[in-house]
Amino acid sequence: MLSVFIAGLAIGMVFAAVALMYNVMYSTSKVLSVTTGHLSMLGGVFGAYVISTLHLHWVIGLLVAILVGAAFGWITEILGIRRILVKSDEHLWLLSTLALATIVQQLVALWWGTEPKPFPRLINQDFNVGVLDQKFWLPIALTLLMALGLELFYKKTMYGKIFLAMSEDSFAARARGISTDQIRQMSYLLSGALGGLSGFAAGQLTFAYFALGLTLTLNGFIALAVGGLGSNIGALIGGVALGLLNAFASHWFGGEYQQTMAVGLLLIVLLLKPEGLLGSKELRPV
Amino acid sequence: MHSRFIKQGSIFLLLLCLSTFTQRLFADTLKIGWLSSLTGPLSSAAIAENRGVELAVEEINKSGGILGKQIELLTRDTAGDPTKAVNFAQQLAFTDKVQFVIGPVNSGEGLATVPILARAGIPNIVIGSVDALIDPVKYPRAFRMINTNRQWISTANEYALKVLKKSKVAIIADSSGYGTSSAKSATEMLELAGVKPVYSVIVDPNKTDLSDELTKARAAGADIVMPWSAATGLLARVLNARGDMGWSVPVVGHPALMAAQIRKLLNKPEYWDDTFAAGYLSTTYMSDGKLPAPTQALVNKIRPGIGGGEIDILFWWVALGYDTVKAIEYSVKTAGSTDPAAIQKVFESTKEFKGVYATYSWSPTEHNGFPDSNMTVNAASTFKDGSFKQAPR
Repeated sequence: MLSVFIAGLAIGMVFAAVALMYNVMYSTSKVLSVTTGHLSMLGGVFGAYVISTLHLHWVIGLLVAILVGAAFGWITEILGIRRILVKSDEHLWLLSTLALATIVQQLVALWWGTEPKPFPRLINQDFNVGVLDQKFWLPIALTLLMALGLELFYKKTMYGKIFLAMSEDSFAARARGISTDQIRQMSYLLSGALGGLSGFAAGQLTFAYFALGLTLTLNGFIALAVGGLGSNIGALIGGVALGLLNAFASHWFGGEYQQTMAVGLLLIVLLLKPEGLLGSKELRPV
Repeated sequence: MHSRFIKQGSIFLLLLCLSTFTQRLFADTLKIGWLSSLTGPLSSAAIAENRGVELAVEEINKSGGILGKQIELLTRDTAGDPTKAVNFAQQLAFTDKVQFVIGPVNSGEGLATVPILARAGIPNIVIGSVDALIDPVKYPRAFRMINTNRQWISTANEYALKVLKKSKVAIIADSSGYGTSSAKSATEMLELAGVKPVYSVIVDPNKTDLSDELTKARAAGADIVMPWSAATGLLARVLNARGDMGWSVPVVGHPALMAAQIRKLLNKPEYWDDTFAAGYLSTTYMSDGKLPAPTQALVNKIRPGIGGGEIDILFWWVALGYDTVKAIEYSVKTAGSTDPAAIQKVFESTKEFKGVYATYSWSPTEHNGFPDSNMTVNAASTFKDGSFKQAPR
C-alpha cells in the first residue's frame, strides 16, 4: 500500500508542478495555455538528450532543460498570447496555444522519435530500494521547492508583488506605470523554466516521451481546477489529490476506471465548489 | 497576323498532345494507396513496413512494372489517427481512384477504413491484427497478410502452458481498445485450455509504476506473467518492476516485449532475460545460427539503406511491408488485369503464396492468409539484426 501511495504522490506532484506553472502564466495574462504540459515534456526530452546522447554532466542537462523550457515559454507568449490579447478579448488564445502545442509536439516527435526513451539516473542508487527510489522523491522534492520558491518570490520580491498586482488588476497596474507586457513576458519565461525543471525532475518516472505534454496539460488543469485557480497551495493539494485518486482507483478498481475517476473528481468539485478548494470567488461590482 | 495565328495554334496543339501524353502516362500506372502512420505515437511499425513497401515498389518498377504498368505509390500519413485514416481512405478511393490499398497499420484505424474501402469495392491488404477486420461477407475484398491477434495469444498461451508447464497465469493488459479486448480473448482461450488466471488487471498505458500490479500478481501465486499491450513504455515498466522486486518469474506475451526500444528502457539489461513473446519462423535464427534464405536476402537488400550497420527495428515489419506489394504484383499478374472482381477471385484461390514474412493462403471463406505453422516463440534478449533466437523448448 505504501508503494501505491508514493507512486500516486510522485505523479500527483508532477501534476501539481504543471498547475503551479498555469498559475504563474495566468496571474499576468488570464490565459490557461495549452502549452503548459509541453514545457515539462521539453524538460524531460532535452535533459535526456544532453545527458544520454551528448554524454554531458547532468547539471548541464538540467540547465539546458530549464533554458529550453524558458525559451518555449517566451515563444508561447510572443506567438500565442501577445497579439491575441491585443486584438481580442475572446478566448482565441485557446486555439493559438493549442496550435503551438501541436507544432512543438510534432517537431519533437520528428526529431526525438515517437517511442518513449529512457531518462538517465542522476544519483548513483540501486534500483531495488522501492519507495526510496529517486524517480519518486525527485519530483516530490522539486515540486515542493518550486511551490516554496514561488511563495517567497511573490512575498519577498518586487517583481513578485508586481505579478500579484497584475493578477489583481492589470489595468490599475499599468496605470501605476508597470510595463504589463514585459511582466507578462517574464511570467512566461519563469513558467517555462519551472516546466523545464519539473520535466527534468520527473524524467525517470515518465520517461522522455514526446506525447507526455497533452497528458500533463490535461491533468495539470484538473489539479488546478480542483485546488483553485490562483492558489499555489491549492495547486499542490489538487495535484496530490488527483495523483492519489488515480493510484488508488487503479489499485482498487483497475486502470479502466482511472480516467473516469479523475474527470469525475473535477466534475464533483466544479459542482460543489466551482472556484476550487482554495480558490477565491471573483466578485464583480455592479 | 496570319503567322501569329499559326504560332498560337501550334502551341495549342503541342499542349494538347502533351496533355494527352501525360494522361496516357498516368493511365498506365498501377495506383497503390498506402495508409501508413509514419508519424505519431504508433510510427515504429509503420516506418519499418514502409521500408519494405518502398523497396518492393522500386524493385518492381525497375524490372518493368506489373503487366507493363509502373506502380504509383500514394503514401498517406495517418499519424495513427482514425479520423485522418478515414479521410485519406475516402480520398484514395474516390478522388485518386487507386486500384489497391495497403493498410492502415493500426487496427483502430483499420476498423474505421475497412468498411469504406469495402463499399468502394477496392481490394484492401489488411495489416492489422484485430479479428473484426476480416469478414468475407461484409468485406469481400479485404485480405489479411499479418497474423491475427488470436494467433499471437494462442502461440504465447501454448508456450506458457505446454512448454514452460505454468498454470498460474497473471494477465496484465492496457486500457486501450486493443489491450482490453486482448485480455478478454486471452482469458477465454486460457479457460478453454482449463486454466483460470489467478490475477488479471487492466492498467493505464501511461502508468508510471507497475510495482503494485506485480506485487498483487505474486501474492496471488502467479508463476507466469502475460502482458497484452503494444505500449513499449508499459511493457518496460512491467519488466522493470519484476527486476526491481527480484521476482524470477517468466514473462510471455505480446511481440512488442521484444522491441528494441524496450531494451533501452530497462533499468538493467538482464531484466530482459526470461522474457518471451510470440514471433515468426521467418525472423528466427535456425539451429545453425542463420536466418531463412529469403529473410537473409531481404536483410542484405535493406541494410545499405539504413547505414549499413545493425538493424535495430523488428525485421518482420519490413518483411510484411515487402510482401504486401509482392502479393499485389502476384494477384495482378495472375488475374491479367486490375479488375477488382478478378483480383478477389485470385486471392480467394491462392494456396501457398511464398513471401518473406510467411507463406500465405486464402480461400472464399478464409481471408486470413497467415498460417499457424509460421508462428513461433522467441527469446527477447536474443535480439540481433531485427531477428531472434527461438525460445527454449
